[in-house]
Amino acid sequence: MDRKIRVLLFKPGLDGHWRGIMTVSKALSEAGMETIFFGFKNVKGVVEAAIQEDVDVIGFSVHSGAHLEWSREIVTELEQQGARDDFLLLIGGVFPEQDHAELREIGIDGVFGPATATQDIVDFIMERLRQREAV
Amino acid sequence: MEENDKIRQAEEEWKKDKERWAERRDEFVSDAGIEVKDLYTPLDTEGIDYLEDIGFPGQPPFVRGVYPTMYRGRLWTIRMFSGHGTPEETNQRWKMLYEEGETGFSAAVDSLTFSGVDPDQEVEGAAHEVGKEGVPLFSIRGMKALAEDLPLDKMSVALVVEPMTSAAITSMYFNVLKERGLRKEQFSGTTQNDILTMTIGYIPWGSLRPADLLKLACDLIEYCTAMGEAPRWNPINFTTYNYREGGIDAVQEIAMGLANAVAHIDELLRRGWKIDDFVHRLAFHLSAHRDFFEEIAKYRAARKLWYRLMKERYQPENPDAYRFRFHVQTAGSSLTAQQPMVNIIRTAYQALEAVLGGTQSLHTNSYDEAICLPSEESVRLAVRTQELIQEETGVASVVDPLAGSYYVESLTRELEERIWEYFMRIEEMGGVVEALNTGWLFNEMSKAFNKRRRDQESGRESIIGVNCYVMEGEDPTPPFRTNPRAAEIEKKRLADLRAERDNAKVSVLLDQLRSVCEKRENVLPVVRELTAAGASLGEITGVYREIWGIWQLPFVA
Repeated sequence: MDRKIRVLLFKPGLDGHWRGIMTVSKALSEAGMETIFFGFKNVKGVVEAAIQEDVDVIGFSVHSGAHLEWSREIVTELEQQGARDDFLLLIGGVFPEQDHAELREIGIDGVFGPATATQDIVDFIMERLRQREAV
Repeated sequence: MEENDKIRQAEEEWKKDKERWAERRDEFVSDAGIEVKDLYTPLDTEGIDYLEDIGFPGQPPFVRGVYPTMYRGRLWTIRMFSGHGTPEETNQRWKMLYEEGETGFSAAVDSLTFSGVDPDQEVEGAAHEVGKEGVPLFSIRGMKALAEDLPLDKMSVALVVEPMTSAAITSMYFNVLKERGLRKEQFSGTTQNDILTMTIGYIPWGSLRPADLLKLACDLIEYCTAMGEAPRWNPINFTTYNYREGGIDAVQEIAMGLANAVAHIDELLRRGWKIDDFVHRLAFHLSAHRDFFEEIAKYRAARKLWYRLMKERYQPENPDAYRFRFHVQTAGSSLTAQQPMVNIIRTAYQALEAVLGGTQSLHTNSYDEAICLPSEESVRLAVRTQELIQEETGVASVVDPLAGSYYVESLTRELEERIWEYFMRIEEMGGVVEALNTGWLFNEMSKAFNKRRRDQESGRESIIGVNCYVMEGEDPTPPFRTNPRAAEIEKKRLADLRAERDNAKVSVLLDQLRSVCEKRENVLPVVRELTAAGASLGEITGVYREIWGIWQLPFVA
C-alpha cells in the first residue's frame, strides 16, 4: 500500500484496562501505521468517526468478559450504518480461546487473545488489506 | 579492614582463574536494570552496619520485619481477591474459600462498581459488564447479601475500591457491621482507596481529577482514623501492585507508593491533623514479580525507607507508625494464557518471595487468570500454594532468613538508594498530584510498558510458553463463566430498593451531599447516612461528578 494504513482504536464500555490497547496503538504506529486511540467512546460515535476519518481498521479491546456482547453491538452498528464491509474489525484482550470461533461468526475479522505478539497484529492487518486491494 | 583486603586479593586471583570459563550471556541484569555480578562477597556489604542499617525484627530500621516474632507468632493472612456474578454467588465463593482455609476476605468489584455507575444508568453498555470482572455492589442490599453468614467479627475484609467509590462502599459495609451488632472498634479490614490506581493503573470511566480523588481518599482516612469512627480499619492501602502491573519496575513501584503516601499525609496535615492522628493506619499493597531476589530485597528496602521517611520528615510518636505493613499479590501480568498450568509454578515462587520478604497478607493468583476469572478448582490450588509454604517448607520458622546474604544485603542497599532517588524526583516536580496533572507519571508507565513489550517480543525477557518452550496445539483451558443474568438480577434489586426506600429522605440527603461537595467538607458522614437510607452507588458518585466535573486525562501515549 502506498498510503499510510489508518487505524482507529477504542475501549467499549467501562472496563479501564487500557494498557493492552495502548501498547497495540504504540506498536502499530511503530510499524508505520497512523493510529487514533479514542479511549472510552460509544459505539455509534466510533463508527461515525471511522466513516468520517476513512480509516482502514477498527480495533477494540475487552478485558471484562463482555467480549461477545460488545462484538455483537459493534457489528450491528456497522451494519446499520451500512459500513460493515468498509473496515477490518479487530478485537483484543482477555477472553477464552473457546470463544474465538464465535467472535469470528459474529463478524470480527481478527481475534487476538492474551499475549499475542504485536507483530502478529501488524502482519494480519497488512495481509488482509493487501488481499482487499487485490480484489 | 585487613580481612577485606585479604578477600580482595583472593578475589583477584579467583577472577584470573575464572577467565578460562565462559558465561552464558554477556551481561546479567535484574528486572529493575541493576547489573547482577557473578558473585557477592563480604566486599559487597562493606559499610553496612548491622545494628544501624539492618537491626532486629520489630526494631528500627525494620529491614528484618515489622514484628519481633513475625510468622513464628502469627502466620500471614491468606487473603484471596475474589468476586463475580451476583453478591449471593460471591458469598458462596467466599464461603468455599473460608472452608479451604482462607483467613481474610477481599472483594473484587465489577467495572460498574469500580466506576461508580448503576446498572440502570444511562451509560452505554453498562449492563454488559455487571458481575463480569467482580462482584456488583450498588447498594446496601447487595452488601448485605455479600456478607451474609460470614464470620465478619473474626475475619477482616479488604474492599478493593478506589476513592471515587470508597466512601459509599465502605460506609455500606460499616452499616452492615453495625446492624450485626458490632461496635466501631471491632470494624476490621481495609479499603484500597488509592488515587494512583485510578489515574495510571486502570482508567475507569468518568474518573475525577487527581486533586478530587485525593480529597476523597483523605476523607475516608480522616473519618475512620483521625475522627475515630473506625479506629482499627485501614482506610487506605497504597496499591503499588496496580502500578507495577502497568509495566514499571521494582524501584518505580516503591518510589511511586511512597510519593503517593506523602501526598495523603501532607493533605491531612494541611487539614490540621497531627501525624499521630492517622499515620499508623496507612498500609501498602505490593507486587511480587519475576525477579526473586530483587523482590525480596524490595520489601526489605521499602520497610527501611518508610522508617526513614517517618523519622526524617514526620516524627510520629506512635511506634506503630514506623512499621511499614503490606499485603502482597503475585504478579498477574506475569501469567500466560499459554500452558496455564505453568502459572501455578510462577505463582508459587512469587508467593515465596512475599513470605521471605515478610508480608502481612498474601493473595496468590489462580492459573487461569490470563483467560478468565478463576474457577473453583484453580482458586483452591492458589490457596493450597500458600498453605504448602506454611505447612511443608519450614520457611515460616525463621524470621528474615535471607539477612546477611551478601547478595540480598547489597541489593537491598542498592534498591534503597535508587528508590529514594526516584521518589525525590517526584517530590521535586511537586509531588504525585502535580506529576499526574502534567502526565509525567502516565508517560513513565507507558515507557516502561513499551520497553517490557519489546523485551518480551525480542526474547530478551524469556517467558515460557510464549517465547520459549512453546507448545503447538494446546488444549484450551475450560473457562469459568460468570452468571449471564447478573445484570437483570442487579437491576431488579435496585428497582425494588428504589420502590421501597424513603425517596424523599434520599433526595434531601443527596442535596446535603451536593452542599458538602461544594464546600469541600468531609463526605463520609452524609454518605454513610445516604447508604443506610438506601441510596445507590451511582447516585452518590453522580453528585461528585456533577459538582466537581470529570478529569480529562493529560497523557501522551
